[in-house]
Amino acid sequence: MELNAGTGGNGSHKTASERDEVAALESLQFTDEIRRLMSAPGGDNASSFTALLELPAPQAVQLIQSPDSAKLIAAPAPAPAPAPAPNVDDFRGSFQFPFNCGLIDRAARFSVFAGDGNINGNNKSNSPEPTSYNSSASLQKPVKSEPAETESSQPLVSDPTVENRSVKRKDREKVKGSSKKSKTSAKESSDDAEKLPYVHVRARRGQATDSHSLAERARREKINARMKLLQDLVPGCSKISGTALVLDEIINHVQSLQRQVEFLSMRLAAVNPRIDFNLDSVFTAESGSLMDSNFSGMVIPMMWPEVQLNGNRQQYPQQLHLDAFQQPVSGREEVCNSYITPENSLLSYDSSGNSASLHSNQLKMEL
Amino acid sequence: MDSQLLNPTSLKSRFTARFLRALTKINAPNPISSSSPTPREIFQRYRRIKVAADKSMAYSVRSRTTWSRATLSRLRTRSRHRRLASFGPRSSVTTAAVLKKTSSHGKENEGGLGVQAGELRELVPGGEAMDLCNLLDETAHYIKCLTTQVQVMKTIANLYSLE
Repeated sequence: MELNAGTGGNGSHKTASERDEVAALESLQFTDEIRRLMSAPGGDNASSFTALLELPAPQAVQLIQSPDSAKLIAAPAPAPAPAPAPNVDDFRGSFQFPFNCGLIDRAARFSVFAGDGNINGNNKSNSPEPTSYNSSASLQKPVKSEPAETESSQPLVSDPTVENRSVKRKDREKVKGSSKKSKTSAKESSDDAEKLPYVHVRARRGQATDSHSLAERARREKINARMKLLQDLVPGCSKISGTALVLDEIINHVQSLQRQVEFLSMRLAAVNPRIDFNLDSVFTAESGSLMDSNFSGMVIPMMWPEVQLNGNRQQYPQQLHLDAFQQPVSGREEVCNSYITPENSLLSYDSSGNSASLHSNQLKMEL
Repeated sequence: MDSQLLNPTSLKSRFTARFLRALTKINAPNPISSSSPTPREIFQRYRRIKVAADKSMAYSVRSRTTWSRATLSRLRTRSRHRRLASFGPRSSVTTAAVLKKTSSHGKENEGGLGVQAGELRELVPGGEAMDLCNLLDETAHYIKCLTTQVQVMKTIANLYSLE
């Protein structure tokens, strides 16, 4: 029978095929079979059997409640009607679950799962990322879509089976009753979202309320916000429109910065064959002023001391009192000079008192 | 001239301090043998300086960002590679495996930006295992740090090359 169709494709149950099967099942009024299936214990969660089970419960709720599916159920009802008649009548008459405890248990178990899974995972209340069932991720989509679609459909008042879900739905209706505001204002409803498997996000006017697209939209907005920040950071990026081009620009910028670091390190390797200077004196003296655009100011004092080259060479060891200097200064003066200069400039800011002597020390040794 | 004192605990000053320290360490052991060091020596120093720059920047950021952690671990692995050649293949294999495991999860929602996101992931250290959202955050911080690095190194190079 058609049940084989349901259990036939055991291996790969993903959403589309599941939905088809469920639709087929529903339309063929297999409530009896379903009930029998569902009253069976949970089994292994990863199997397609439970996949099939977990799906129909929420799907069934949705299908039953939405008026379209009611017609769907009602329409083929007279045709095959091999199924138990009382359930058919129930279906057609009221939008209630015709079931028995089997499905109720299963649904309750689902909400338990959902609740457990969500307590840990519901820190991001802005995006509907519900829970971790132990089933595959694909099942979450139909589960997620269930509350969303019931939002748009008529609210179900008497729903004994999915008690938790009806509570949530009422909350959502209350929340939804007010005018549609922006998504982030759904925070108050997200207070009880910790216990509930669904994150209530209010959709903007004219936008799809499908929870999947809500998640997508939240994500896209986050990404767009960050792209804006990056655009400000990268020069010349604010004029460009279009995410891909902006990203290209960002990539170019990062590459150029990395290359600059490489070139500069090569320059540093080549340029300063020997720099010794006592860092303590450098850093205690002028902790901040080293790092500024003051550097450009440093260049200038370096220019004019050329006058006093010869006279002041001997003064270096004393005035700078850098220990590291002692050895090199002793031996080779001409080489000394070339690397004393940077230290002079680095220290030039500390003793602003003896600026005269310092300036004389900042000789550029063009000897 | 001293009016523009920077925050002594800012990224810039932290990086500068560390980098200068590393520079002195690199430059210290060289005796004044010849006026122009051989290209080989220069190349070696270049590599060491580059590593020192990256390392000091990563240390200045501590472990607040993924890229800094990735850089530090990369540097440590590389130094370990140098010292103990036998351990090299193993560590590289394990890190590659870890990266492959984690990288497949968060990359589903890139939209149409897959190519650029991939390139960005290659550029930013540690970017392979992040989804686009976090990747953009990391890129922003990385750009800021790179800019600081370039600025400081340029200044130091200018200072030292004023001869």
